[in-house]
Amino acid sequence: MATAAGTLPAVQEESTLWTWLTTVDHKKIGAMYGVSGFAFFLIGGLEALLIRTQLAVPNGTVIDADRFNQLFTMHALTMIFLAIMPLGASFFNYFLPLMIGARDVAFPRLNALSFWVFLAGALLLSSSFIFGGAPDGGWFAYAPLSAEEFLPGSGLDFYVVGLLILGTSSLMASLNFAVTVINMRAPGMSMMRLPVFIWMMLVVNFLLILSLPVITVALIQLLFDRNFTTNFFTPSEGGDPILWQHLFWVFAHPEVYVLILPSMGIVSEVLPVFARKPLFGYSAIVFAGVAIAVLGFAVWSHHMFTTGLDTVPQVVFSASTMAIAVPTGIKIFNWLGTLYGGSIHFNTAMYFAVAFIALFTIGGLSGVMHASPPVDSQQQDTYFIVAHIHYVLFGGAIAGIFAGIYYWFPKMTGRFLDETLGKLNFWLLFIGMNITFFPMHFLGLSGMPRRIYTYDSDLGWDTWNMVATVGSYILGIGIIVFLINFFWTMRKEPTASNNPWGAATLEWATTSPPPEHDFDVIPEVRDRDPLWYDRDHGIEQPEPQPGVHIHLPPPSYFPLLMGLGVLLLGVGVLSHLALTALGAVIIVYSVWGWALEPTD
Amino acid sequence: MASDAHTAEKAHGSPYGPREYIIITLILAVVTAVEFALSYSGLATLPLATLLILLSAVKFIAVVALFMHLRFESRIFTQMFLFGFILGAAILIALIALFWTATSDAIGGDEELPPLEHHHEESRELFLDPERLV
Amino acid sequence: MAASEAAHGEHHASAGVDNRLLLMWIFLASECLFFGSLISTYLIFKGESLVRPLPEDVFDIPLTSLSTFVLLFSSFTMVLAVYGAQHARPRMMKLALLATIIAGLIFLGFQVYEFKTFGEEGLNLSTNQFGASFFVLTGFHGTHVGVGLLYLGSMLIGSMRRNGLGRDTATHVEIAGLYWHFVDIVWIVIFTVVYLIP
Repeated sequence: MATAAGTLPAVQEESTLWTWLTTVDHKKIGAMYGVSGFAFFLIGGLEALLIRTQLAVPNGTVIDADRFNQLFTMHALTMIFLAIMPLGASFFNYFLPLMIGARDVAFPRLNALSFWVFLAGALLLSSSFIFGGAPDGGWFAYAPLSAEEFLPGSGLDFYVVGLLILGTSSLMASLNFAVTVINMRAPGMSMMRLPVFIWMMLVVNFLLILSLPVITVALIQLLFDRNFTTNFFTPSEGGDPILWQHLFWVFAHPEVYVLILPSMGIVSEVLPVFARKPLFGYSAIVFAGVAIAVLGFAVWSHHMFTTGLDTVPQVVFSASTMAIAVPTGIKIFNWLGTLYGGSIHFNTAMYFAVAFIALFTIGGLSGVMHASPPVDSQQQDTYFIVAHIHYVLFGGAIAGIFAGIYYWFPKMTGRFLDETLGKLNFWLLFIGMNITFFPMHFLGLSGMPRRIYTYDSDLGWDTWNMVATVGSYILGIGIIVFLINFFWTMRKEPTASNNPWGAATLEWATTSPPPEHDFDVIPEVRDRDPLWYDRDHGIEQPEPQPGVHIHLPPPSYFPLLMGLGVLLLGVGVLSHLALTALGAVIIVYSVWGWALEPTD
Repeated sequence: MASDAHTAEKAHGSPYGPREYIIITLILAVVTAVEFALSYSGLATLPLATLLILLSAVKFIAVVALFMHLRFESRIFTQMFLFGFILGAAILIALIALFWTATSDAIGGDEELPPLEHHHEESRELFLDPERLV
Repeated sequence: MAASEAAHGEHHASAGVDNRLLLMWIFLASECLFFGSLISTYLIFKGESLVRPLPEDVFDIPLTSLSTFVLLFSSFTMVLAVYGAQHARPRMMKLALLATIIAGLIFLGFQVYEFKTFGEEGLNLSTNQFGASFFVLTGFHGTHVGVGLLYLGSMLIGSMRRNGLGRDTATHVEIAGLYWHFVDIVWIVIFTVVYLIP
């Protein structure tokens, strides 16, 4: 393709700070999401290591109870909202236009705005550690504990404002991506030819679009309860703490699928490539993903079995929760069917993908267990639940993200991550994760509650706690190996060809890394596996017409400016209302500048 | 894609002109007036609520379908909007049902309150108390 | 803001619709859940107030009906503005936009008056569950009206410029209209569910 470059507009290759700050290129935005998401992943990991260090031995004295509460709250918030979600968004930003054969997303500036608002919210939430203490009411912030009376510090206010800002960012990104998938597909790319990763992310976007407004309302009510004298969640004044739980879980259960579905999509891309055969049961996997999402809106009360729901709701939510195992099982069998009879090529990406299936299945099985209210009553708030969520989120979501990193790294940078270090990285994470989280099943069943900062030594929990802590350090070493691999690889010469893995999807039809305009010629899609179809039928990629002008959206600083306005808005709510006013003025000014800015 | 042809095509999106819009508005106004009158009719709560909800549904559909041109636009808009609307309605009806079937555990719930006069002065003081306002 | 994001490059519309209209419709689907949550909070707290005043103590149905008519009228003028924009009648569009803005301001005026009166009758955010859920619900509806006024005002000022709203005037006004009508249908629901049903 390099030969054709002369016919195209000179691509601006310089990479100054200003080009990054004003970029509207989905690939640069994806890279920024990826780097910041991974940085927060490291922060969340350090928080987890501190927690595990404190719990390594009975009566630990490393940190005090107050700091411990902040750490487990921020560990959850960081991993969910600042690490896993942006890492999924990173891949989607980078590959959505490439995989559907578009030059960019539908609204490039809105895309940049989503990132800057995300960064504003993430920095605001994390800065709470410095300014008077982090949120310490759990990531669920159950009322009435979250009331001003019981948690008087500013931590919970950081939680409310931070999540409102992050939610705004996710909503804007999801709207943008949903429009892009629906309306920007290349010729021939029908909905049932979309790569599974795109399908799963589309489902994720709709989950967010439809669940974020509910948590927004709940957060607004909490904000009003804490600052403007309402009593939505104060039982002594007629309020109802259970309302918070309902609104929170109407959002937060779909949120769980927001975290896992991207990884399911990534694995569905990786498996066929390295098994050298098309994905088994494409439509079943797609419909299973949609079914998980729809059912996911009808199960939220299974988080609340112990709040005293009536019998009928218990039965209904128990049944709908168990029903989710069906589409999930369909996916797992389809992945196994993809592997079956394939000529499997095992590299690091494939290791992570296969590990995903195994570990996610374990997490899924323990999940079905607490779909049963009596069982759940035993397991509620014990380490059994901690074990379950970490098998799903670390063994599932994070393993899928690592599979995606190793799989797409050559496309994004033109370089291959080192395979030897990669396999070391894999085994350290795989072994470390099982040593850390499997004993938590035992701890939970022997009654160890979640979120306690210390425990006595005569309870029989000493051994497994020590084992879990050792495992968490192994995980830490595994992440360090990955970082070494990353920085070492980035010093190497880019050698990757367009399609080094022999993959089937459109992102591999362009150069590695892709040019700023993604494709010299918008590809035409004739099959679900377009590159394999073209290869088997001897169809050549069309050559670019000489002299064709490819229009790219110009850079803009208004998204950055508006992100700054949103940051001031949030800081103002937490400190001085004058800052809020300033933020509002900046936002209005940016909207105007944005609207009047020429885009062509 | 935003050519003149596109704009012209848009103009054909809705066949209605000012005359039709006036008629629709008048109908909506009459329905609102009927709703207003019904609320003074002294009907029992259940039939009254049913009637009112039906009438407001008529207004809702008329505005969405005709004023927002949903009837004349691509089906994809209808699908997107209805999906959100139906899902939202279903979740929220379920939520309300969960609360209304549950025996109220909030203090004072479901009790008949004494008429306003007893509390009037007290609550006015509450409102005027600057500390309660902050 | 997204409304101004011009379609760029040579992309074609695989669903055959304008990106910006599609974005607005999906956004409105999201807004359904936002107002749905607020309305259900209001309904869940019905009968949970510990002290008066209750709705029957403060509601002034004739007055609210009047403001409902005003908002309905603004929907009518809004649809005329869209018609004017689509049929290249800029004068009609500007006048209708102006009328919509005035009607919206009157509606907000009614709401400010209503809040003030309720406050004088002893109902505020902290009084009881009715006060909290009522003010937050109608307050956020009012905020949406306010944002809509800023939006329409920007449209009107923009249309006064030499180039008007540019080549996509009809689409810009249509999107603003979608938002405005949605705010109106939310009020249709609030009027019935909150005010009229006892």
